[in-house]
Parts: sequence; C-alpha cells; structure tokens
Amino acid sequence: MPRSRRFSSALNRRELLLPYLLVAPALVVLLALSIYPLLYSITISLQQETPAGVVWTLGHFKRLASDNFFRTAMVHTFVFAAAALTCEFLLGLGLALLLNQQIRGRGLFRASLLVPMMLPTVVVGVVWRLMLNPNFGAINGTLKQVGINTESLTWTASPRLAFLAVIAVDVWQWTPFVFLVLLAGLQAIPQEPYEAALIDGSSRWQTFRHVTLPLLKPAILIVLLLRTMDLLRVFDQIFILTEGGPGFATEMISLYIYRAAFRFFDFGYAAAMSFVLLAVTNVVSVVYIRLLQAKA
Amino acid sequence: MKRTRIFRTGWLVLALVAALAPVYWMLTISLKTEVDQFAIPPKWFSFTPTLQHYTDAFVTRSFGQYLLTSAIVAVVSTFFALLIGTLAAYALTRFRLPWNLDHKLSLWILSTRMFPAIVTAVPLFLMMRDLRLLNTKLALIIVYTAFNLPFVVWMMRGFFAEVPRDLEEAALVDGDSRLGALVRVVLPLVSPGLAATAVFCLIVSWNEFLFALVLTQTDAAMTLPVGIAGRVTQYEIKWGVMSAAGVVAMMPILVFALAMQRYLVRGLSLGAVKG
Amino acid sequence: MSIKFKNVTKSFGDSKVVDDFSLKIEDGEFVVLLGPSGCGKTTTLRMLAGLESVTSGDIYVGDERINDVPTQRRDLAMVFQSYALYPHMSIAENIAYPLRVRKVDRNEREQRVARVAKMLEIEPLLQRKPRQLSGGERQRVALARAIVREPRAYLMDEPLSNLDARLRVQMRGELKRLQHQLGTTTIYVTHDQAEAMTLASRVAVMKKGRLQQFDTPLNIYNHPANRFVAEFVGSPSMNLIDGKIEHGVFLSDSIKIPIDRSDAAVTIGLRPEHVHVSTAPLDGAIPASVYVTELMGNETFVFLLVGPHKIIARAPADFRAEVNCKVWLRLETDKAHFFPKEHSTDYTDQKQSV
Ligand SMILES: Nc1ncnc2c1ncn2[C@@H]1O[C@H](COP(=O)(O)OP(=O)(O)OP(=O)(O)O)[C@@H](O)[C@H]1O
Ligand SMILES: [Mg+2]
Repeated sequence: MPRSRRFSSALNRRELLLPYLLVAPALVVLLALSIYPLLYSITISLQQETPAGVVWTLGHFKRLASDNFFRTAMVHTFVFAAAALTCEFLLGLGLALLLNQQIRGRGLFRASLLVPMMLPTVVVGVVWRLMLNPNFGAINGTLKQVGINTESLTWTASPRLAFLAVIAVDVWQWTPFVFLVLLAGLQAIPQEPYEAALIDGSSRWQTFRHVTLPLLKPAILIVLLLRTMDLLRVFDQIFILTEGGPGFATEMISLYIYRAAFRFFDFGYAAAMSFVLLAVTNVVSVVYIRLLQAKA
Repeated sequence: MKRTRIFRTGWLVLALVAALAPVYWMLTISLKTEVDQFAIPPKWFSFTPTLQHYTDAFVTRSFGQYLLTSAIVAVVSTFFALLIGTLAAYALTRFRLPWNLDHKLSLWILSTRMFPAIVTAVPLFLMMRDLRLLNTKLALIIVYTAFNLPFVVWMMRGFFAEVPRDLEEAALVDGDSRLGALVRVVLPLVSPGLAATAVFCLIVSWNEFLFALVLTQTDAAMTLPVGIAGRVTQYEIKWGVMSAAGVVAMMPILVFALAMQRYLVRGLSLGAVKG
Repeated sequence: MSIKFKNVTKSFGDSKVVDDFSLKIEDGEFVVLLGPSGCGKTTTLRMLAGLESVTSGDIYVGDERINDVPTQRRDLAMVFQSYALYPHMSIAENIAYPLRVRKVDRNEREQRVARVAKMLEIEPLLQRKPRQLSGGERQRVALARAIVREPRAYLMDEPLSNLDARLRVQMRGELKRLQHQLGTTTIYVTHDQAEAMTLASRVAVMKKGRLQQFDTPLNIYNHPANRFVAEFVGSPSMNLIDGKIEHGVFLSDSIKIPIDRSDAAVTIGLRPEHVHVSTAPLDGAIPASVYVTELMGNETFVFLLVGPHKIIARAPADFRAEVNCKVWLRLETDKAHFFPKEHSTDYTDQKQSV
C-alpha cells in the first residue's frame, strides 16, 4: 500500500509539472530572442566608446534630446500614422457598411482585396515605384493620356508629393484589412438590436450612432490598435519607395534608427532611439487596451 | 432601391480596380520588352509578352538562389514556431496555473509581439555577429521562429479553447495519457486551425524584410525581399527583372492566402476577431 | 468492484460543493445519485473518475485508495452527458479507442468492437462519423465505448437527458438489462426521479452536496428519511402540512385529524395516492374545494384547497369535478409520514460511516 501510493503520487507530480514543461521551450525562446536583446540594447544605449575605453553614460539620450533630425523623424512618423490611420479607418468603415449585406460576388470581392495586404511589403514598394515613376509610370501616363500636364507631378522626387505618396501606398495596402475586420465585426452583431431600433422608429443615422457603433467598438479598437502599432514602426515600403527621401522628406523613425545603426554603425545611439519608439508604442497600446477594457 | 444598388456596385468596382490595377501593372512590366515598358501612353493590354525578364532574374542572376533561401527559412522557422508554440498554447488553455499565471504568461507572450522590429533588430544584429551567425540561414530561422511564436500561441489558444473539454476527459477516462489525448484527440480536431496558423507563419516569414536586411548581406544567405530591395535601390534599375522577381515573390503568398481566406481576419488580428 | 466514499469533501474556492459525503457501494450494484440541479452529483462522479481532485476524504475502488491515482489508471468507464464522442473518428474507431490506447492488438480489437456493436445493435453504423448519428444512436455508441473494455465500474452522468421522452424510456429499459447482463458496478447520475426509481438497486439522494438517504427505491419512496427526500421523490410530490399534535389530534388551519402520537410540532406527509376524493359528503371527511384537475389518461390529479393548504390527490381517470366545486377528502393516516417541523435533519446512515 505505501509503495503504490508513492508511485501514484510521483505520477501526479509529473502531471503537475507537465504544463511547465510544455510552456518552457516557448519561454526560453522568447527570453533569449526578445527579452535578452532588449536588455542588451539597454546596455549599449548606456555605453559609449571613448579613447579611454567604454564608459557608462547618458550621452546617447542627451544627444537625442537635441537631435533635430530625430525630432523631425518623430514628427513625420506621427503625421504619417495619423493621416494613414484616418484614411484607412474611414475608407474601411465605409466599405464595410456598404458591403454588410448579401451581395453577389462578395467572395470574389473579398478575395481580390486580400491581394494588397498579403503582398510582401517589398513588392508593394516595387509596385508603387512602377506606378509612380514620373517618366513611364502608369499614373502619369494615364493622366497624360487624358490631357493633364504631369510635368510637376514628379512624385517621389518632390518632398510634398513623396510624403503623400507613402501615405497613399499604406492606405492602398491596409484599407482592406480594416475593411475585413470591421466587416467581421458588423456580421457578428445580431439582428435583434436593429429590429428593435427600427420598431422604436430611429433614423438610419441614429441607428448607426446608437446601435452599430457601440456594438462595433471592440472590433474598431482592435483594428486601430493593430494598425497604429504597425504604422508607428513603418519601414519596408518606405525603404524601397523613397529611402526616406527626397532629402529627409519621408524619413521615419525606424528608418532613422536603421541608418544610425547600419550606415553609421552608431549602435548605442540607435538603441537609445529605439527605446523612445518602444515607449511611444507602449503608451499607445496601453491607452487602446484601457479603452478596450472600459467597454464592459 | 435600384439607385443604391448602382451606387454600391460603383464603389465596389472602384475598390476592385484600385486594389488590383497596380499589381496588374507590375505583372505587365514583368512581361514587356523594354520598349513596351517605357511606352507612352502606357500599354495596359496590347503588348507582346516575353519571359526574358524571368530567365534573366532567375537563371542569369541570383534570384533563384534567393528564392530557395526564402523557402527554406520560411518552412523551417514555421515548423519550429508551430511545434514550440502549439505545446505552450495547449498548456496555457488546458491547465490552471497558480496565481493566474496562465493568463499573465499569455499576455506577456503577446506583448513581445508588439515590439517594433527595429528595436530588436539592432541588438539581434550584434548578438548574431558575436555568435558568428551573420549571413547564415540559421540566424534567420532562429529569429523568425521567435518572431512567429507569440502569434502561434495566440492563434492556437483560440483553437484549443474551441475543443470541448469533455472529449479530452473522455480520452483520459478511456485510459489515454495527457499527451496521448493531445495527439490522438485534440490535435486532429484543431488541425484546420493548425494549418491556417502554419500558412500565416509561412506568409510572415516569406514577407519579412527588416530582419533579413539586417542579418543577411551575401548572395548565399539573402532572402528574396532583400534581393529585390538591393536591386531597387541601385543606381540603374532593371525594371523588368525587378518586376519578374516581385511577381514570383507574391505568387506563393497569394495562393496560400486564397486557400485560407476563412481564417484570414482571425489571423491578421492575432485571434482577436473571429472572421 | 466495490466503491467507497469516505468523508469526501470538495470545495471550489470558498464554496463546499460536496460535503462530508460517505457511501459504500457493493460490487455489481446499480446505484443512482439523485438530487436537484447543482447539488454536486456531477462533481462527485468526476472525483471518482479522477477528473476533479478531492479536497479531503478518501475514495476507494475495491481495496485501493484512488485519490492520487491518475485518471488513466483508475480503469473506470464514463458515459458523458454530452457523450463526448470523438468527432474525427468513425464509430468503430470511437469504440475501439480505449482498446487502442491499451495496445490491444488489432484482431482482438475488431472482434470486441463487433461484439459490443452487436449487443447494442449499432453494427450498421460502424463506418459513420458521430455527426451522422441521431441522439439515441450516439448514446448507444457512448455506451459501447464504455463496455467494450470491461472496466471496474461504469460512471454515467445523465446519459439519457438529451433524448426525447419515448427514447428515454426505451433506453432506460435497455440500460437496465445491459447492466444485469454484465453485472458491473454502475453509478448513474440523474435528477429524474423516475429514472432513479426504475434503474437503481439503491438510490443515493443528495442535497447541496450532502447525502440525504441511501436505500432501495422502495424504501426511499415508502420511508423517506426526511422532508427533503419525501418531497423530492415521487410525482406528484408528497403533500406536506405543517401543524402540531395535541392530545392525539393533528391540528392545522382548517384541518383536524386524529393521530395516535405524542404531542409535538410536526409536518405531516401524505402521498397523493393516500388522499381520496369524493364528490359526495362522507362521514368524518375533510371538506375541500377543487382548484384544478389534470387528466393524465390513466388517472387524474386533483389539486385541492383546504383552507390555506394546497393538497394533491390521485383519482381514477373517470373522476370529474368542476373548478371550485366542493368535495370531501379521506386521508389514509396510517400511511402518513411525520417529520419534525421546520429544521429538516440531514440523514446519515449509521451503517455507512466507516
Ligand atoms: N469548476 C468549478 N468551479 C466552481 N464551481 C463549480 C465548478 N464545477 C461545479 N461547480 C459548482 O458546484 C455545484 C455542483 O455542481 P455539479 O455540476 O456537481 O452539479 P450537478 O448536481 O451535477 O447538477 P446538474 O444536475 O445541473 O448537472 C454547482 O453549484 C456548480 O456551480
Ligand atoms: Mg451534472
């Protein structure tokens, strides 16, 4: 009796350990490749090479505070994110409301909209370089065809237009995503509230304002959260499309950090800047998550 | 009634054209001779197609090699992310850990996915340099495995939660072990979800650019996106070659994406919205 | 195999769901756990199966204390309320599953599956998937999966509750035959007292996690240990009238019945079949008025008002009376049950405490 008891409780202990054994590999990988790099990054951001050797200093962060290029890149990133987010949200919501009913060919429509957002971002960059090329690009070519003077439409060569272009490209790629998530959200709303609102005699706008929007709020917040995170760290398409240029016109924070690290090999400074970016994205995500939880 | 339908159809067509025309344009460029490429007005439909840019890219130049690297890195990293992530997800849905640890761990895992890539790219470059892993496929496989892991955990948590607990308990009562029940009962039931998650990881790894750019610079280790980017930013651009490479880079993704449309919204929102 | 619960308690956080539960089940018995929803029947069964840990107390199967034995090694079979058939396996694979995990070789597996399939008459279904089966068929498959491997005991959690009334009665009979044939100890959970009465060799009545009475169906019906059991078992419910006995007479509002007992505050309990209704005045009968009648086909339930008391009587099918019509009641007081008033004591069987 005591023998079998010991045996079975040993088995039980294995049972108790099992969840930890199953989670352990994932934790190890994430600790080694997410958390350790972060700590590593903190270290180098606080170190500087001097003739006397490596010293601990806040130098990188001080430099950051007075770096005008960094500030400009920050401003660009925020303006870019705000503009793209607004357009994507409004267009996505509009399309979702428009298509929230049984329509012939909706499957085909959905499938076609997948194309832009599934594309490798590098390919998106290529596509739009081809479209926007001032000489043989499809956009200017088509405009010329209908008799519009395109001489001043140099797109990626003009600071203003380049900034508009990178926003437009992001809107092109990601509006479908906003649309799909909001459509899924809309279709998860049961029919009864609408019928009740109809019987209560509310107008279409009132129904939208008081029934649709509140019920759609979780989906809206989630899609805005995901998009904001992505927009704040935008890199790939802009790297291909303009490389931050012309001049500094479309420089974003991720590009500036990349340049600091891999063109000037100033890793400490790059690390310091990346913490600012991390802090910003953190604050934004916390705000969204608070809003999301406040829905209850 | 009729007017709203016309109005709606108009929007629909406009959105379709906007979404597809640029991609189609790239496709035409990849198939046009140089003369046709620069034609004004632009030739959308009437040109004689040629495959010359494709052979140029994938036979003469190294794009074939980049393609292979991309495929290897995507497949191997997806395999490991699925293996590690699925086990973790199972533990986090099926066991109650003390102090609400299961919930806290899940959130922590998700939060690592929210780091901007550039934040970890800098230290990862230095780490890989110290380990002498720069310009190796192994470096990318390791990084992509970690990158996809939070995603796998969250997706699979959702799928596991949909399998009734009864079934597993029945398997235990029938005499199976925990792992046996996982393999014989639970995994077969979540296999569509597992497949969808795998496809997502493949797409993400295939498309990833920044880490690949930072970690690989040689022809032998470069992925397709890095290869394309290298040509684009060169002084003289071979547009046909680039487009051909772009078309090839997007093809597998489109096939995959269409194959798993049903799970697309769910995957893109990290399981938050069930499409 | 005999099964013994010894002072078993289960708490979820602060709430005690099973409280000091003791029960000794003999080998080969068919015991039904009966009680209202939420009283802890499923929890008790799950503790026995090892799907829920025991907070305190001991559970024995045979002579083996199984508290710490993992589920897989307890060698019990369970039929879930939801049947829990594996949706991705064919019916044959479902039934063979317990054998497969025990590494029984393929030939024997097939033979045994064929044998139980024949026994339960589900041979034509073997190649189908669970979702292609009706509720009754699924229920049989769940049973087949349980009996294919000759476990130490069967645990069944409301296996018939998802079936329609007719099928339920039919399956009830088949279950009983099957258990008789196999002779394996069975614990069966239900809140349907008709199921309990017809199936059980003994019934354990539970309330709020505590055992109220453990006895044969007849004894439970004829000698309920307390007011709760009296009211819960039997349909329609036993009539309960609060009052007191003074000088050999039971007194309550509008009711006076001579009773040969010592003085006390009591609740008197009378089954509806022991209340006889007459439309003609009878000597010494209690006057009442008809509240409503329900014709059941083979008999009639008569709901009556006697002063403030509602009383139910069973009458023959041809009994006719208008609503509010005046009638007379004769009570078989020698069949009456008496319970101490107000606080109902919980029952613990002295023979069971180990
Ligand atoms: N995992 C759990 N955590 C907390 N409370 C629980 C848990 N499982 C059951 N309970 C509670 O324990 C009590 C008994 O539940 P149990 O499922 O055993 O009832 P039951 O007698 O089977 O009822 P029913 O006839 O409705 O199936 C209920 O009040 C239930 O809410
Ligand atoms: Mg229950």
